[in-house]
Amino acid sequence: MNGSFLLTLIWAVPFLTALVSLPVDRDDHRRIKKISLAGNLINLLLVIGLTFAFISTSSEHPAAAGAKLSHFHFTGKTVWLQMLNIEYNIGVDAISVLMMLLTAIVIFCGVLASWNVEKQAKEFFVLLNVLVAGVYGVFISLDLFTFFVFYEIAVLPMYLLIGLWGTGRKEYSAMKLTLMLVAGSAFILAGILGLYFESGMNSFDLQKLAQATFSPEFQYWAFPLIFLGFGVLGAIFPFHTWSPDGHASAPTAVSMLHAGVLMKLGGYGCLRVGMYLLPEGANMWMSFFLVLVTINVLYGAFGAIKQTDLKYITAYSSVSHCGMVLFGFTALTFAGIKGGVLQMISHGLMTALFFCLIGMIYGRTHTRTVSEMGGLMKVMPFLSVAYVIVGLAGLGLPGLSGFVAEANVFVGAFANPAPLYRFCTVLAVLSIVVTAVYVLRAVNGLVNGPISDHYKTLTDASLIEKIPVTILLFCLFAMGILPGWIVELVNGAVHPIYNNLMR
Amino acid sequence: MKLLLPDILLVLLAALIMGYDLYKGKVNLTSTVPFHFAWLGLCAIFVVLLRLPYDQTALYPGGYLVTGTSLLFKQVFVLSALFTVLLSGSYFTPGGNKRGTLRHRSEFLTIILLCTFGMFTVVSATDLLTLFIGIELSAIPLYILSGFYKEDALSLEASTKYMMMGAISTGLMLFGLSFLYGAAGSVTFEALAKFCTANPDEPLLRLGVLFVLAAIGFKLTVFPFHMWAPDVYDGAPTPVTAFISVSSKAVAVAFLLALLYGPLAALHSQLQPVILILAAATMTVGNLGALKQERLRRFMAYSSIAQAGYIIMALAGDAGLGRSSVIFYLFVYAAANYAIFFILAAIGRDGDEQRSGLQGLGKNNPVLAAVLMLTAFSLAGIPPLAGFMGKFFLFAAAAKQGYYAMVVFAALNSTISLYYYLLLVKEAYIIEPQVARKPLMLDGVQFISLFLLTAAMLIAGILPSISDNIMAVAG
Repeated sequence: MNGSFLLTLIWAVPFLTALVSLPVDRDDHRRIKKISLAGNLINLLLVIGLTFAFISTSSEHPAAAGAKLSHFHFTGKTVWLQMLNIEYNIGVDAISVLMMLLTAIVIFCGVLASWNVEKQAKEFFVLLNVLVAGVYGVFISLDLFTFFVFYEIAVLPMYLLIGLWGTGRKEYSAMKLTLMLVAGSAFILAGILGLYFESGMNSFDLQKLAQATFSPEFQYWAFPLIFLGFGVLGAIFPFHTWSPDGHASAPTAVSMLHAGVLMKLGGYGCLRVGMYLLPEGANMWMSFFLVLVTINVLYGAFGAIKQTDLKYITAYSSVSHCGMVLFGFTALTFAGIKGGVLQMISHGLMTALFFCLIGMIYGRTHTRTVSEMGGLMKVMPFLSVAYVIVGLAGLGLPGLSGFVAEANVFVGAFANPAPLYRFCTVLAVLSIVVTAVYVLRAVNGLVNGPISDHYKTLTDASLIEKIPVTILLFCLFAMGILPGWIVELVNGAVHPIYNNLMR
Repeated sequence: MKLLLPDILLVLLAALIMGYDLYKGKVNLTSTVPFHFAWLGLCAIFVVLLRLPYDQTALYPGGYLVTGTSLLFKQVFVLSALFTVLLSGSYFTPGGNKRGTLRHRSEFLTIILLCTFGMFTVVSATDLLTLFIGIELSAIPLYILSGFYKEDALSLEASTKYMMMGAISTGLMLFGLSFLYGAAGSVTFEALAKFCTANPDEPLLRLGVLFVLAAIGFKLTVFPFHMWAPDVYDGAPTPVTAFISVSSKAVAVAFLLALLYGPLAALHSQLQPVILILAAATMTVGNLGALKQERLRRFMAYSSIAQAGYIIMALAGDAGLGRSSVIFYLFVYAAANYAIFFILAAIGRDGDEQRSGLQGLGKNNPVLAAVLMLTAFSLAGIPPLAGFMGKFFLFAAAAKQGYYAMVVFAALNSTISLYYYLLLVKEAYIIEPQVARKPLMLDGVQFISLFLLTAAMLIAGILPSISDNIMAVAG
């Protein structure tokens, strides 16, 4: 199969899935869910196929070690709108392939985890699939305009998904999340237009822009615009406040997808558009952003300690862990950037599993407050064990995915000889201890201790709930025990970005 | 005479509809024949417009110029008139609207058509006098139309207020034009352009341009001349409100394009800061004003003030991108605005045109609610809808001149606007209605119109042909 056609197919399948479920009878929930599951299963297989194809192609055509230009495979382009020479221009490198794999896994598990959605199921799955189509679109786009279009498609359905199917202060959270993210897009939009006109190339093509020379003055103001704009979605301090409210209010699958994948779009954009296209700007501003993300890492961790609601704990831990992604990037060392990318994958899997489990537990206990639960190990051993494992992954236990990523991030950040970097790394490492505190406390409160009477009749996970949990657990272990092939792939993709930064 | 065909047909159509009542002898209030004449005729004119050659220009005696750009504007005007006619259908049907039934359909349609002819004149003018006559021809009918609920106090108030404000604006415009004439010694664009290129620093010119800008600011609802809009939009019958919000704005934009990229092109660089300040103030005032509006027609007034702000911003751009982005935006803005007004017509059948009237739409009329959501997103500029592409080109026009700070400001403003457009979505989907509501009934005309408009919003952004053609013609 033609590579670029496969890429197009991957974003088209969820979109078609949404279209196909439109004419289905509103009350036929089972059929809608089956369509959605089938669509995403097909896509999961397509993405796995893409990953294998990518591995073989990239080993046949390895990029030169000193290359400054990212090497994309399966490329294809056609002119879309002549008005500003906008192209539909696609292609993937290792980072995008891995992120697509993550997306496919998380959404597949997410559909299974939302099997019990009964309220307006049709709208729910249609919006969910449109959102996912947008996410895939971002990862394959090599044209900044197309990139932005898909980015917004991925962000907007969130408003209704949280507002309509969420819990708690859902309307407030949904509005806050949407507005903050769209305000971030406002900065991105200006940055993209700046890149277009300042390059003088009359093109939004990422590869062409990477070869343009931008004046230092331009890079000086454009880089923070783009980095902060994407950083909002990556929950950069002080623009992280949408994240705890949004994730806590969202329904299970949406939390999984948003924390697991969407927040990575932020990091991906920072790397792909910000650091790759504006290396001098990155060098000028990084110590400033380093301070911000160090606050992220620590603040998120300390914030999580204070929380009693399971979803808020996980949401704050996401702020901390997503901060780690950006922390790796701001380190400006090879290992740091690599660690950031690995952390994107690791955190995606981990947080998806967290929210998935919390959704299942909440569906049974109808509370998310840790102090009201206890002894769940006795009635739901499967869910409890899974929760313990993912908790351990969260605090970076070797053998699980978190360790691989965090080790790289911290080693990479410490490798930068500037005193500020050393100091911030030491501070950030502290967050691991804090993470251990809140994770273990939550685990302890949840699974150990006496069980209250009205929880004694609860049941363990059903088969359909066990599938997503098992898949995600498998991935956590796989990445923890056999990280080699992932690291290898990421290395190849990070080299050009790093070389570009160091020129 | 080929290029003049749409103009001729339009006048004939107006005469035909006016003549129909006279021919019948006594005025038949319920007859739908004029309605069918009108929409069929407008469709025919639109088809004629599409088939004309856009790469030719023709100058007719009396300085009546037809160019590709003017044909594009004529498309906007004809489409707007067409949808106004379709929208007015339910308002003339007894029981079609809670506020009351409009009467004298032939009169109404004739006035719409003649007003549209006035707009045709504006885009074909080659001298200040024709330009002025065109603007007046298009403005005076609107004063009559706003008062078309002849027994409704609000409607009469709207009409009076609009006329007063319009009269002041006319005065200012004549005053300004007289300075331009005084400076250049001639009313033709050619002479004016020559004078402007030779003496760009002439104070008389600046004074004249200032007054003309203020006058056209009234029509375009530019801050600080926007105050009339909410009252007029709220008081006028809904089809008229829609017509004012699209056509009247489009003609003001056409007027500005004609001057700024025509005879006043030499002053353009001097005017850019003024344009940007006006744009920034207008979009902010519109967006902040819309936040608290419960009445949807008032809401739309502020929303369209904000939209005017984005449009003016692009006028700081160069002739190519500035002109084509603005014309493209007028198309997508018209589609979205008319879609909202058709939804208002559906709500207004049994209820008030209030935001709370949207409640329960998501459950009772899922398709209509989806259309509302798409429309709101298009107005807010969310991809991949046409509204986003339109706004992106507007922003690009400003960015091309290096006004990046303005782009950031406008994009943040557009985030504010997303808040109140999302309130519509929230009302339709999330808020549970206090009282049980019946599903809204759409008649055939409304259904087809909404279908067409939605298709336009979805396709116009994605299909390249429309923006490419506009770029080729106006760029």
